[in-house]
Amino acid sequence: MDNDYFSIDAILAENQKIQCTFKVDVPDMGHLGGGSDRDIKALTKVPIPIWLAYIVLYSDWADFNIPAPFGPRVRNALKAEPRSVKLSALVGAGGLWYGFGKMIMDILSEEQANGMSEVLTQTFRGRLTEVIDQAQHFATLGPAGGASSDAAQFREGLDVTERELFSLVQDSAKRTKLWFEGNDRARR
Amino acid sequence: MALPRPLRMSISPPELELIASEHLIEIVPLIAMEKTAFISGAYGPLRPPNKCRIPLWMATNLKLKKKCHIVSPDWLSVDFLQERLSEETSQQGFSRLPFRFAETAKVVLDVASDDVQDAEKIRSLLKDLREARQAKSRDGLSQLDHSELSLPNLCSMEINEIRPFFTQAMDVFTQLARQPDADNP
Repeated sequence: MDNDYFSIDAILAENQKIQCTFKVDVPDMGHLGGGSDRDIKALTKVPIPIWLAYIVLYSDWADFNIPAPFGPRVRNALKAEPRSVKLSALVGAGGLWYGFGKMIMDILSEEQANGMSEVLTQTFRGRLTEVIDQAQHFATLGPAGGASSDAAQFREGLDVTERELFSLVQDSAKRTKLWFEGNDRARR
Repeated sequence: MALPRPLRMSISPPELELIASEHLIEIVPLIAMEKTAFISGAYGPLRPPNKCRIPLWMATNLKLKKKCHIVSPDWLSVDFLQERLSEETSQQGFSRLPFRFAETAKVVLDVASDDVQDAEKIRSLLKDLREARQAKSRDGLSQLDHSELSLPNLCSMEINEIRPFFTQAMDVFTQLARQPDADNP
């Protein structure tokens, strides 16, 4: 999730598009929005990927809206119950909801960024215990519940960051369990 | 970065067992041996009816050749563990146990269960202890934030088990938290 140049996760997260409203005319750049217009006119809304948005926003050529995955609807759902929101569905395949959120947070001004940080942190904390519990359950007893149970639904909605955590827990729990149960007396 | 990812983040339980094997333990030797110098120090002399303190790895080795009896440590007894277990279930914090109790107990019980009184009972007590403590470290998760976490009296095996994901989770918290002076350094 770091902004390291070589971080694959950061590159993937940067690929998300945000809606920008241009304040100035930009000639010959109409292809950015995918339309057939030659120029970008002032006040048109164009979805552009974050890696490109930085320079556009900092140069004050455009404004942007907070994207839907972090909009009020999602925020309210998260406030109600962080574990019932499918984060992976919000940002598309290989979703990096936290990574994307972190990038938006870095662009935003002080007050909004604090709010954003609050939402991200609360969500992560709210879901963390469930992630760990399920991973440990996985490591010792196999999948919890059937394919359509709440647990399976939750697993499907895991963001990449959480998936990584999930596999770490699983590995660690498996190794420790193996050691506790094994008896290599014969080898000595 | 040729090491597999789990090994990069923490050491493995068998390695911990190896470290714990350096600790001294009391034995009653059945053979005589002069004081002998090893890389880690000189141990012995072994004079049969007298007790002697030698490293756990050596005791294991002798025990498997039936050349000594291992004297189980004070804390590896039903009374002690029972007391800790009731402390564990009635109080909030972790109870005080030797730092490498899990490793030492397993090795001793594996090779010398006939030298330990009530080995079966101790095994089940250790299991209960482990479960009670695991439940507590799980509660610690909800207090996790980007700066610190204090879980006193956690033992080496437990630390090792939770290290990979606790550190990763704290890393994520660090990323998500606003650094107050990030914009105007």
